[in-house]
Amino acid sequence: MMDLLRILVAPVVWLAAFSAVYGLQGVLCAAPPEGTVAGLPMARVLLALSFAAALLVQVALLVLLLSRRFGASRGFVRTVSLGGGLVGVVATVWTLFPVLALPLCQ
Amino acid sequence: MLAAAGAIVLLVAALIVLAWRRQPAGAKRGGERVWIFGLGLAFPAVVLAALLGFGLVIGERLMPRTAPDILRVGAEARRFAWTFTYPDLPGRRTDGVLHVPAGRPVDVAITTADVIHSFWVPRLAGKLDAVPGHVNVLRIEAEQPGTYQGVSAEFSGTGYDGFAFTVVAHAPDDWAAFMSGNETEARQ
Amino acid sequence: MNALARHRRLTAIWSSRPGWKGLFSTVNHNDVGLMFLVTAFFYFFVAGVLAMLIRAQLATPHSAFAGPEIYNQIFTMHGTLMMFLFAIPAIEGMAIYLLPKMLGTRDLAYPRLGAYGYWCYFFGGAMLLVSLLLGIAPDGGWFMYPPLTGKVYSPGINTDFWLLGITFVEISAISAAVEFTVSILRYRAPGMSLSKMPIFAWYMLVTSLMILTGFPPLILGSILLELERTFGLPFFQVELGGDSLLWQHLFWLFGHPEVYIIFLPAAGVVSTILPVMASTTLLGYRYVVAAAVALAILSFGLWVHHMFTTGIPHMGLAFFSAASTLVAVPTSVQVFAWIGTLWKGRPQLRLPMLHILGFFATFVIGGLTGVMVAVVPFDWQVHDTAFVTAHLHYVLFGGFVFPLLAALYYWLPLATGRARFFRLGEVAFALIFIGFHVTFLAMHFAGLMGQRRRISTYSPEDGWTAINLISSIGGFILAFGLVMVLIEVVLHLVVRHRAPRNLWRAGTLEWATAMLPPAYNFASLPEVDDREPLRADPDLPARLARGEGYLGEPNGMMRETLAVDVASGTPEHHVIYPGNTHLPIVLAAVTGLFFLALLLKVLWVAPLAMIGVAVLAWRWVWVLGRREDAGAVSVGCGLSLPTIAEVDRPPGWWGSVFLLVADATLFGSLLFGYAFLWTIAPGWPPPEWIAPSAIVVALAGVGVALSIIGPFFATRANAGGSNPAVGLALSLAGSAAIAAALVAMLMMAPSPTGHAYGATLLVLGGYGILHAIVVALMAAFLIARVRAGYTSPRRRAEIAILPVWGAYGGGIAVVILLAAYLPVALS
Repeated sequence: MMDLLRILVAPVVWLAAFSAVYGLQGVLCAAPPEGTVAGLPMARVLLALSFAAALLVQVALLVLLLSRRFGASRGFVRTVSLGGGLVGVVATVWTLFPVLALPLCQ
Repeated sequence: MLAAAGAIVLLVAALIVLAWRRQPAGAKRGGERVWIFGLGLAFPAVVLAALLGFGLVIGERLMPRTAPDILRVGAEARRFAWTFTYPDLPGRRTDGVLHVPAGRPVDVAITTADVIHSFWVPRLAGKLDAVPGHVNVLRIEAEQPGTYQGVSAEFSGTGYDGFAFTVVAHAPDDWAAFMSGNETEARQ
Repeated sequence: MNALARHRRLTAIWSSRPGWKGLFSTVNHNDVGLMFLVTAFFYFFVAGVLAMLIRAQLATPHSAFAGPEIYNQIFTMHGTLMMFLFAIPAIEGMAIYLLPKMLGTRDLAYPRLGAYGYWCYFFGGAMLLVSLLLGIAPDGGWFMYPPLTGKVYSPGINTDFWLLGITFVEISAISAAVEFTVSILRYRAPGMSLSKMPIFAWYMLVTSLMILTGFPPLILGSILLELERTFGLPFFQVELGGDSLLWQHLFWLFGHPEVYIIFLPAAGVVSTILPVMASTTLLGYRYVVAAAVALAILSFGLWVHHMFTTGIPHMGLAFFSAASTLVAVPTSVQVFAWIGTLWKGRPQLRLPMLHILGFFATFVIGGLTGVMVAVVPFDWQVHDTAFVTAHLHYVLFGGFVFPLLAALYYWLPLATGRARFFRLGEVAFALIFIGFHVTFLAMHFAGLMGQRRRISTYSPEDGWTAINLISSIGGFILAFGLVMVLIEVVLHLVVRHRAPRNLWRAGTLEWATAMLPPAYNFASLPEVDDREPLRADPDLPARLARGEGYLGEPNGMMRETLAVDVASGTPEHHVIYPGNTHLPIVLAAVTGLFFLALLLKVLWVAPLAMIGVAVLAWRWVWVLGRREDAGAVSVGCGLSLPTIAEVDRPPGWWGSVFLLVADATLFGSLLFGYAFLWTIAPGWPPPEWIAPSAIVVALAGVGVALSIIGPFFATRANAGGSNPAVGLALSLAGSAAIAAALVAMLMMAPSPTGHAYGATLLVLGGYGILHAIVVALMAAFLIARVRAGYTSPRRRAEIAILPVWGAYGGGIAVVILLAAYLPVALS
């Protein structure tokens, strides 16, 4: 079960973060928060922060999977779980970058 | 896009056919590095990143942006007719025919009175659904005066086959006539 | 005992009852797998005939062949049957039949559950078939979008057939997925570690986990829509706080993973057969596994790309457009791993290989058009046109039917012990390949020229006449090819042309059974230390038949196998399976009575059927177990293992965990629906809120505490040799308290028919009450088992399952109360 967890954890966390950011975007458009930070609308700041948090978690997971304590010792599970860790990082950047690039609610 | 897709199909086909080519024993036939990381990962990643960026830029351009001379119209679908309204002409409504000026951006506010429908005029824009309780705004612009065929492109039960409408884009004079309430004269 | 005597003894133990009546009581995977496959191909035939009717209708403009009323039923049923009654059951049948053989074991984890799944599929499919024959079949499109499928616009029984029949059939998908997951993780040959598993098992493990998390959203959607239709709970009616977009989210949360649920097993087939056809091993096994896992999870982040035209903000679309392009990367890893495998070996053009080449040509094109429709502006044009119809057929026919035909020709000799005699297959392949591409390549252009999907006719002025005629001709060529395959299979069964053993020279264990495989698969279980055990040791079949592996000596009339450690494959437990029984078909029939009662609106029968299900389920578990300790059982090769009644984590525990994964996904989807309506639906806030009550919270708090503490005490007491009944009674009381608290909560909630808010609260509360009843029944069952002497400090397995369910029941009660009260308390 531990090996299964190692293999699945990073992409599953990506899925959770991805859905959460999509949900947050929906909520922010339904009820736009007030205020600005450094000239940027609050909604943009919140989305960017959640993007950063998701990325941070993914990097942390990758470090964990590489580590001696949590990472797999067997070669096969190690390769597959590190593959999963990389998928998590890449997918986070690839799918969530629109929070920085596109207009908020059009 | 079609040409690139065709090239990729040919590449894959060629690689498969070449697998049958007999080679002297011991000849190097490409290991995991070539197949998995080169062709499997790097190749599609580059192509797809380019395609995604291209699609998002085009998509951005098609979004209803603010512009000085936008005309707003309303489109309400019901089985099986479209009713169009003109906020600039209170009380005015046309059934089955949407009148717009040519050469001006038009925002169509789309909604429905019953089930889900979709507003689609292939030559003017992509389609956008009419969803109960929601109003979706589609930007269209007809560069030339003329008649453009539109259809409802979301299955809505029996009667869906012939559920169509037309968009008439008027030259400035015609449009002025339409605005002044003289619809018959505005029809071409 | 010599090999022949062992064969006779094991056959007597494992066989179904003789004659055709034996099918009704068989639980053996050899029978159940083939029953699934035969039924699935029957529906392939029916749905294929419907496809021919569609092509006949569209061949010419102004066709008067079928009016829109009938045509709508035809295309709805074509899609529905292909997806739910052909593709998924065919995968289940193939995996049920092959997995135990590939994994080197004698059966799947829960033989009776497999049979129950089959009968649910059989009865549920029959419901839909009857609707088709009576001309009252579903006609709202296979995607069933409300409000078109709501009571107002679809007052007839047609839609109910879909919602109830499909939900009924889905029981078989969920039970098969639980069974596969546990079997692949725990029921393997000794020594088969995760890295030595056959690649098909990896794909099926991934697929099963996807079914467990992909199907619940659709099951929930179907329940909600049926509740709306029968009881007027307005989940999708915008004027009463519902939103039709909620259905689209739930449907595509299922619908997109569904595509990969169909594709991944087929990819597993390709990964298995292609290396054999090239006399080599799969290139980059571990990267292929990683790619399959990545593909599976990424595919859950694509669902909104079916909703690009519903008016979602561009940023939201961009997330899903990005994810939809990204998913092509792991697919491409697999495709190039396969081509690299061909380069590594010496490929030969045998019949299964032809179909794999057909797969490559078709699937790659389908994948590329898929990337095109992932591009938002392109999709805005081609969405709901024939272009998408063409695309999805390239993906599904290319990505599923071609590999399935390869599998058919590859494994048919195993299942029948015979080889092909007439060489029809090559001609059939040519017809299928040409017919398919003529049909669907043409359809792309019709779509680009503006032909919408689901229209029943068109006029000559549209300019699509020639394309549609070509497409229809291609369709009939394709049909001829498929009929030739059918003829060849029939001839295969009639003509006795013996196949040599392991005729493809494969390395996986299914070829180490006799051809055709005996009911027990292996006379003794192999010790595996290679990914292709048969290649490493060609003498293996003979050694196994001589009883040189594990469990070589039959033990009484018990159906025995071994359970292993998940990661390493070290043997851990001795397993005894139940034998032939009518319980699965009876339970499926009573389950069907429940659905039938809802369909025919004889609502008072439904609760009776539920009670019947509970009684039979009680009986189902009661017949297992024994009243004395067995101690360590000798399993051969000098090894003794505890039997499954005497372990901490029995098969029932594993099955419960994965069933609860599906259950939790359903609950999560419900919470998503609640949040979605709250933020997106136009008719909110509701006119009236629920009134939070301190008494309800206190009562529920006591209940939750008891349902967690009770099972804990029971386990502890049993392990210490004292009576666990007190702990079990506490658990029972806890469930009763939770149920009472939730009933009280619902009494203070606004009317469920007045607004979607009240309706959602009712479903949330009902979900919690239902689980409280299930946990209470489990606790009561265990009390009865303790009194009847089925437990002891050693025989602790049954009690070990309760904590899992107790914790889940308590956990959801907390979440339900939070969801009901917290927003009101905060505002």
